[in-house]
Parts: sequence; C-alpha cells; structure tokens
Amino acid sequence: MSDKNVQRLPAEELFQREIDALIAADHDPIPTGWRMSPRSVLTYIEGGTAVKGVEITPKYMGSRRLVEIAISTLVTDRALLLIGEPGTAKSWLSEHLAAAVNGDSTKVVQGTAGTTEEQIRYSWNYAMLIAKGPCPEAMVKSPVYRAMESGSIARIEEISRCASEVQDALISILSEKRLSVPELGLEVPAQKGFSVIATANTRDKGVNDMSAALKRRFNIVVLPTPSDMATEMDIVRTRVEQLSAGLDLNASQPKEDTVEKVVTIFRELRKGATLDGKQKLKPTSGVLSTAEAISLLANSMALAGSFGTGAIAAEDLAAALQGAVVKDEEKDKLAWKEYLENVMKKRGSEWLPLYRACRELNGT
Amino acid sequence: MSGPTFFGVRHLSPAAAYHLRKALDRARPELVLVEGPSDLNSQMEWLCHPDTQFPAAILAYTKTPPVRTVLWPFAVYSPEIQAILWAHEHGVECRFMDLPSSVFLALREAEEMSVGRDDPGAPYSNDNPDAPHSNNTPGASSEDGEEAGGTAVRVVPPYTEDLPQTTESVYERLEKITGEDHDTFWERDLEQAEDYQAASDVFGRELREASADDARRAAETTVREAYMKRQIQEAIDGGISPEKIFCVCGAFHVAGLEENAPLTDQELASLPTAGSAATLMPYSYYRLSSRSGYGAGNKAPAYFELLWEALNGGGLDQAPYLYLTRLAASHRNAGNLVSSAEVIEAVRLAGALAKMRGSRYPVLADLRDAAVTTMGHGQFSELALAAADTEIGTQIGSLPEGVSRTSVQEDFYRQLKELRLEKFRTAQLQRLDLDLREKLNVKSEAAAFADLRRSFFLHRLRVLKIQFAALLPSRQSGSNWGEYWDLRWTPEAEIQIVESALMGDTIQGAAAFALKERADSSSTIAEAAAIFQDAFLCGMPAAAQHALSVLQGLSVDAAALADVAETAQRLSLVVRYGDLRRFDPAPVVPLVEQLYLRACLTLEDACICDAQAAPAVTKAMDQLNALQLSLDFLAEDRWLDLLAEISDRDDLNTRCSGFAMAILLERGRADEALLAREVARRLSPGIPADLGAGWFEGLAAKNRRALIARLSLWRHLDDYLSSLDDEAFRRALVFLRRAFADFSPSEKNDIAEDLGEIWGVDPRQAAEALMNETTGAEQAVLESLSDFDFDDI
Repeated sequence: MSDKNVQRLPAEELFQREIDALIAADHDPIPTGWRMSPRSVLTYIEGGTAVKGVEITPKYMGSRRLVEIAISTLVTDRALLLIGEPGTAKSWLSEHLAAAVNGDSTKVVQGTAGTTEEQIRYSWNYAMLIAKGPCPEAMVKSPVYRAMESGSIARIEEISRCASEVQDALISILSEKRLSVPELGLEVPAQKGFSVIATANTRDKGVNDMSAALKRRFNIVVLPTPSDMATEMDIVRTRVEQLSAGLDLNASQPKEDTVEKVVTIFRELRKGATLDGKQKLKPTSGVLSTAEAISLLANSMALAGSFGTGAIAAEDLAAALQGAVVKDEEKDKLAWKEYLENVMKKRGSEWLPLYRACRELNGT
Repeated sequence: MSGPTFFGVRHLSPAAAYHLRKALDRARPELVLVEGPSDLNSQMEWLCHPDTQFPAAILAYTKTPPVRTVLWPFAVYSPEIQAILWAHEHGVECRFMDLPSSVFLALREAEEMSVGRDDPGAPYSNDNPDAPHSNNTPGASSEDGEEAGGTAVRVVPPYTEDLPQTTESVYERLEKITGEDHDTFWERDLEQAEDYQAASDVFGRELREASADDARRAAETTVREAYMKRQIQEAIDGGISPEKIFCVCGAFHVAGLEENAPLTDQELASLPTAGSAATLMPYSYYRLSSRSGYGAGNKAPAYFELLWEALNGGGLDQAPYLYLTRLAASHRNAGNLVSSAEVIEAVRLAGALAKMRGSRYPVLADLRDAAVTTMGHGQFSELALAAADTEIGTQIGSLPEGVSRTSVQEDFYRQLKELRLEKFRTAQLQRLDLDLREKLNVKSEAAAFADLRRSFFLHRLRVLKIQFAALLPSRQSGSNWGEYWDLRWTPEAEIQIVESALMGDTIQGAAAFALKERADSSSTIAEAAAIFQDAFLCGMPAAAQHALSVLQGLSVDAAALADVAETAQRLSLVVRYGDLRRFDPAPVVPLVEQLYLRACLTLEDACICDAQAAPAVTKAMDQLNALQLSLDFLAEDRWLDLLAEISDRDDLNTRCSGFAMAILLERGRADEALLAREVARRLSPGIPADLGAGWFEGLAAKNRRALIARLSLWRHLDDYLSSLDDEAFRRALVFLRRAFADFSPSEKNDIAEDLGEIWGVDPRQAAEALMNETTGAEQAVLESLSDFDFDDI
C-alpha cells in the first residue's frame, strides 16, 4: 500500500510502526472512536521511551502542556482550533493528532478564498443527479461529512481564509453535531468520536475574521514560535533529516554550524534585534518561520546536490537565504544589506564566506 | 506505642487544616501543641477572637535598632489556626511549642554577623527583593520556613520555593520526574490525597532524607526539634498523659520529633535571646502569594481559600465549579463576554486534563489552562487580571478593637478613623484628592480643615517612610491648595508603622523625632531647608522651628550660590502659602531676607565662571528673580541695579550677562535703544565666537516672543555671523545650536520668517519653494550635508 514513489506519505503511514506499537502497548481506557488512549497519543506526539522496543520519535517539540490541552479538548468532543504564526507547526500537529487518534489524517478541507459551503457539507455528482434525481449514490460527501459518519476527526486548514458563509456552515455542524440533507430528507447524526481540528494563521487576522459564534465553538490553543535557540535548532535538524530522506537530494545533511547560522539569522531578523539584544535590526516583511528555515535548508541541499559538491557551501546557503529574506524587493533588500554589514560582517572569520556570498547576491 | 500524636502538615494547606480538624475530633486530646513561638501564647486569644479576620500575622521585633522582625502569617486555612480554633472551641488547652521569638530574632542576628547575608543557605538571609527594608520583612524571616527557622513562620518550611541550594535540588529533581512544578505536584498528590496524614508523613520523611546534607540547616533544625521535644516532655511531666497530647508541626519535623532527644537545661540556657516584643498585624493575600516575592509555596491564597470552602462544603469536587465561575464572573466584571457554555466547557476540559495526569480532581494548573483555552482564546494575557483576582485576591485581614498593638499602631488606626481614611485601607490602589483650603460652609473648625489635617497626617507618614501613601506631582502648576495622593495598605506599611514605634508613641511624636534627627545630622542649608519644608508640610511648627534654627546656624558658613537661591526659594513658599496650612511665616521672613541679601552680594562674583558652571548661575538668577517678584519686602532696586551691572560688565561670563539682560528686558527695565546698543556691542565683528554666541544663548533663555518680535536683534545676529570666518563660525555653531535647541517648532518658524525678511525672501514664495519636490541636484547637496563632521568643533 505504501508506495515508494509517493511524494509525501500521510503521517499514519510514515509512522505506522510507532502507531501500531503504541496501540499494542496501550492499557489505559480508550475513548469511543479512538484507536489509542489519550496518553498514548501524547507519547506519540511528544516522543519518548521505547514502547515494545520501538522508539517513538518526537513529532512536536513545543510545550508538552499545549499538546495535553489539545488532546484533552478532543477527548471532550470539542473542536480544536490551533492558532499561530505561519510555520509554527499547526498543520503538522493537526495531522499527527488525527493520525494518532484515528489512524487517518486525510479528511482535510483546505480553506481558501474559493472554498464553498459544499466542501464543508456535501455536493452532488451532477451527471448522476440528473440521471437519477437526488439519491444517496449521487451525493459527494465532504471530508467533514465522512468524519461525522465514521466518528472520526476532520481537519480544516487555514479556516480564517474561508469566506464567512463557509465558516458559518461549520457552526451548525459543531453545535448540533448533525448535518441535514433536505434533498433526501436525511439527518446525519455525528457518531461518537467526531471532532474537528482547524488551523488559523495570526498573519491572516482580519482577512476573514472568525465570528464570535464560531470561535465560541472551538477550544483555542495558541502555538508559540520556538522559545529558545536550542529547541528551534532541534526542530530544524530533525525535520530537515526527515524531509530530505524522502527527497533523494544527493546531498549530505547540513552541518551543525550551518543550522546554527540559519537559525541565528532567522531568530534575529524575526525579533528585530541581535540575540544578545545589543543591536536593533530592521524587520523584514517575510515571516521567517521555523518551517521556512527547514525548507531553506532543504533547498540549499538540493542546490548543493544538483549543482555543487554535495555538501552545502556558502553560495548555496546564500542563494536560499536571499530568497527567504528578500520578499518585498526594496525594503527587504535594505534590511538584509544592513544586517549583512552591521551584524554578519562583524561576526568573525567563521561567518566570512557566508557574508561574502550573501553580499554578492544582494548586489551590494 | 502510645506517645503523643504528631500531625505533619504543610503550613498553608487547606487539606491539612481539614484533615487536622477531623483527626482532632477523633483524638480528643487534652493538650494541643502547635509549631509557633512559645513565648507568644498570649496572642492566641486574639487569633480566636470572633472579629479577627484572616489573613493575619504575628510580628515579633527587636526593641533596639536596627529593627529585626520575624513574622508568622496565618490564613484561615492554615492548619495551625484551625488547631488553635479547634482547641478554643472545645475548651482544650493549646500552646505554641517552637523556639521563642526572642531566640529566633537573636539567631538571625548571629547568622547575619557570622555568615553574611547573601549566603543562600543561611536561614533568614534570603532577602526579599520587594521588601523595602531587607532587615525586617517577612520575606527575610520567612525563609526560615523551610529550613529551619520558623517553619511556622513562613509558610511551609520544607516546601518553600526559594529554598537554599540543597533543597532546591530536591525540588528540581522532583520537577524533573513529574514534569510539573512542585506546587502542582503538591496539590495533585497531597491536597487531593485520600489519606492525607499518611501521604504527608511519607513526603516529609522523604524530603528530610533527601535534604539532610546541609550542616548548618540541620543544626538549626535539630535545635528547634529538640526544643519542641522538650515542650512535649514538660507537658508530660506536668501530668498530661502522652497519648492525650496532639502536636501540629511541619511534616518535615515529624521524624525529628520522634527521634530526637529533648533539649537539656544547659542547652536551653545557652540559646541566645534578644530583647523583643510582639504584636498582631493584619496581613494580605497579595503578600502571602509568592507573586510579591514571598516564595513560600502559596502562590494562590484566594484559590486555596476556595479549596478550604469546598472541603467544608460539598468536597473537593466542588472546587472546579467555584473557581471557574468566579473566574468567569471576574472576567465579566472587567467588561468581557463570557458565556456559561464556555464555563461548562472549561469544567469538562479541566476534568480531561486532570485525567491525563491521573489525578482525582483538576488542580489549579488544569483549571487555569482550561479557562485560557475556552474563555481566553488561547491567550493567558486575556485572563490575567481575572486570574489574579480569583487566585490571589485582594483580601486583607483585620483585627478587633483593643487587640494588643503598639501604641503607634493604635494611633495610626485611631487617626485613620478620625480622618475618615479607613476606606482607603485596602489592597487596591486608591486616589485621594485633597483641597487644603478652608471650607466655609461647614460648622466645626475640624470639618473646615479636614483635608488639611489629612494632608498633615499623610505627610507625617511620608516623613516616617511608611509606604501607605504616595504623593503625586501636582496636576496644575501653581495650585498650592491641591494635593493628590495614592493610598494603598500593605503588610509592609504595617511593619513600617511598628518599626516607627522606636521613635515615639504616636505618629506625630515619631515624625517629630525623625525630623529632629535628620535636622541635627544635616550639613548643608539645602538639606536643612528640605527638612524645614517637610516639617511645614507635616504641620509641626516646633519641628519646623528646630529645622530653622539649624538652617540659621548653617547659613553663617559660606554656601554656594545655587544652594542659597534654592533654600531661599523653598522658604519663600512657606512665606507665601503658609496661611494655607495655618503656619505663621513670621520667623522665616528675616531668614529669607538674609539669604536674599547674601545671594545678591555673591551673585556678581559667581558670574565669573566657565561655560560649565554658567547654567547653575543662571538658574540661581532665575530663582532669585522669582523670589524678588513674589516677596515685596525684598528690595527691588538692589536687584535691578545688580542685574544692570552684570549685564553691563564685559569681564563676566557672557552667558550670565546675556541672561541678566533677558531678565531686565522681561521686567521692562531695558528699552529698545539699550537692547539695540547691547546687541551691537556684544555681537560686533571681532568679538570671539564663543563670547558672542554665549551671550546670545543667555539672552535667548527667556521671553523669546519679545526677542522674536525685535527684528533688529536678528539683523545684528545675522551681520555678526556673516562676519565670522569659517573656523570661528564653527565654534559659534555650538552655542547657537544649544541656544536654539529648546525653541519650539513654531518659534523656530517665526525666527526663520524674521531672517527671511532680513534677507528679502517673501514668506509665500519661500513656502512654495519648500513645498516643491527636491530635485536630484538638491538631494545630492543635502546628502553631502549628512557627512558633515561635528566632532572637531
């Protein structure tokens, strides 16, 4: 079933061994509709001691308490809303929660400006509708519909990007826990275990602000950006390893000091000050999230693997950094130039190659 | 075995208090011994008084300076209090059994001397960062709690957070194992324990074992335990059968009390003691919580009281409902929207969180996290205010009338009542606006000057450094009849009041003493004048008189001009506004005259100074000018002549001369012609840049509008500047920049218009030119200006 050529396997297939081991070792009570106990879900997310000889890798490296709150929310049948800056592992956490709880993280609705109410409820196969009239076979069920039927978890990504009528469609589902199909005279009750995990982006605030009515139906967990350098480096390293393993990049893993440099640059620009707090920096328009640091490193690995020596060189890193930092041409370019001249240049010989490569690319 | 019963507790633990009462009901002892200062049994009577409201504390203090204090705070859920109350209700004898407070105070003194205060391991040495005086705060004393000292004192001895190193590591290890902070651990595993006594017993013993490696602490603990053991022994010798004795002590001490031998007579005699007295004082939940630096493991007193209510009501399972509904109510009160549905969800979520951790009921951390998730939209900051309200609370205790107090405390409370300030004795900051003027529409004199008397009282507290009231800056300049105060009662303030007992028996007496001490030790007239002003504000003529005589003595000696001017200024306030405070200014007048005269005599010489000293001289000139203007008994002619002289002389600091000119101009004593002549003279070509520009700086320091209106002045300035060569111009720039630095934009604008007129630029054309976009060439010129290097001028 797991095809080697699939670009990205869903979490439950990627970590199937761990999930199976956890299920086998479980002896706490398991909520209806769940595949393992809440504590095992926690172990799955946070990683930890080997269960029956299987090492559980940590999936989310932030606060354990936040994960506990998220899981407890799902235990109480409440919908869960994960909020955070872009790249704070909201979707990542949501996918793994669904994978651990149901063994199925694929019931996803991607929220966009073009998402319609039908994608939350159900739509019709029009050919069949015209041929047979309204009948169950002609109905195309949405992921949420299917989750209700099977008593499992539906995921809604970027809920704040959806138009408000789409968000409103969720309200009745979350409060009544029923979905009516007037065409068929059907009332579909949600089975026990049904819940929704939605994610929303703080940067999108105000795009389609969520109504108070909808917000009230969610328990809200705010995911923070990694609190310290070490945590963030850990996250970046682990994720780059996982990511590149699936990509055949022909490049070696980034060295420790490369990761450190990238994370340092990102943290400083994000904060608008150097790590020691002694120097103020111009902010950039980009978010510079942890997720971007990860893809940046993967990106430079691809560059190094395809066009370079296979080890990430300063030039590869510089190219990737340029792309990540300079988004809004002039302003970012200036901020980046200032950073290069005022901070990086003065960091000593270790940073020198990177500084030179960056300066060249930034056209200064 | 049928020895005495030992009940190990955590010192501020509702569960301990609850189970302790149950245990007492079962045991029916004849004597209850409680860990607490054995020389202060008399305070128990007041603790049991029906009008006493907790939190309250026993405060023991040394009777000689420096004052050291040690504090035993109690909340209603303190097991000690419940033991004492139980004994009182059942007519059973109850006694404290720990070392006397006099020994604690003496030990602390010895510690400080031998160890140095910053040794973290030393009992009592932990300074409380918030505490106003390190010596006397509960923070310092409380430390004991954990280790040695008065366990009782602090809150929980072994369980405090700011423990010395050894125990710290124990707690750190504990936190590592459980993944939760130890307050939460305690609540989950002991507050909720089904068999509290057994759990607490095990915990105490384990803790003792784990932290047995600090020699000094161990020594003090041993002494305390031996002393307690001796108390128990004495009770047994007194004819009470051992099994009828019930001892309440920190769980940490149970093992020690079982094993150690009682203190011998010889050992007892060798304990140091300090002369001490004790009093009861109200305490506050805020102080009790570690938020204010208390660090004693009782972060959430209001929440713990809620647990206590729940235990005595329906059981601990009620606590989540109580907490969350109170939190919601408080959040609503602050103007936020909280639906009942959200509260219900919070209760469910808290339950699920507790289950994940395997505890019976949600603990505070679960409840709060649940509330944040459902009501706070994931942000604790939204709920922070309501959480502080619900967890810490603003409650402060109160004591019945007649409770044993120091006379100063009594005086303080009597005056609070008399002056109707009682409603300000709360933990919240409250604003008090006073109008010192006599109220004409009231009958009694007392009422007519009510606000004035309040002001006297508050100023006296200020002089005594009692942090009950803080004077705010006046909102309206020149309104001397208005005073604005921020009032807030804190346990520290109470301690400071007790401390002032050393200085007198009443607030007024103590303030007089404090002022006299300060006056006698003051060495400059400015200091003495400040003391005089304080005495004046306190409405204490005798003290003011004393300060004045000190001042007079000091003024004989030579004093700097700035000090003389400053002093004269302070005194003049008394002369001008003395009647507002019903103060007779007569004795001050001759002194002001004397100071004024002396200032006039020294001013001219003072003007021979360098650029650095010039600002101080001009400030003094300004003050003297104001002084002369406001007090008509000071000779005007002398002053104006002096100014004319200074303005005229060429050998003085030019800035001072310029300033004298400015004053003359302001007072209408310099006419157009004189100004024109002076400007021409001072700014004529050939005058060095620093002198010319310095003079202008002095001139521009005052009545700018008048200067701006005089076109000729600017023409002269313009001519003068044009006459300077590059080098001299650069030097002049420094002075001119400084002179114009504090002109407002509109003033600068007007000057620019003046100059425009001199140069023949039409203001409208100029405006138009300025509104146009800068061209590339102009931009380049402007850019080159930013490279201008000011370093060498």
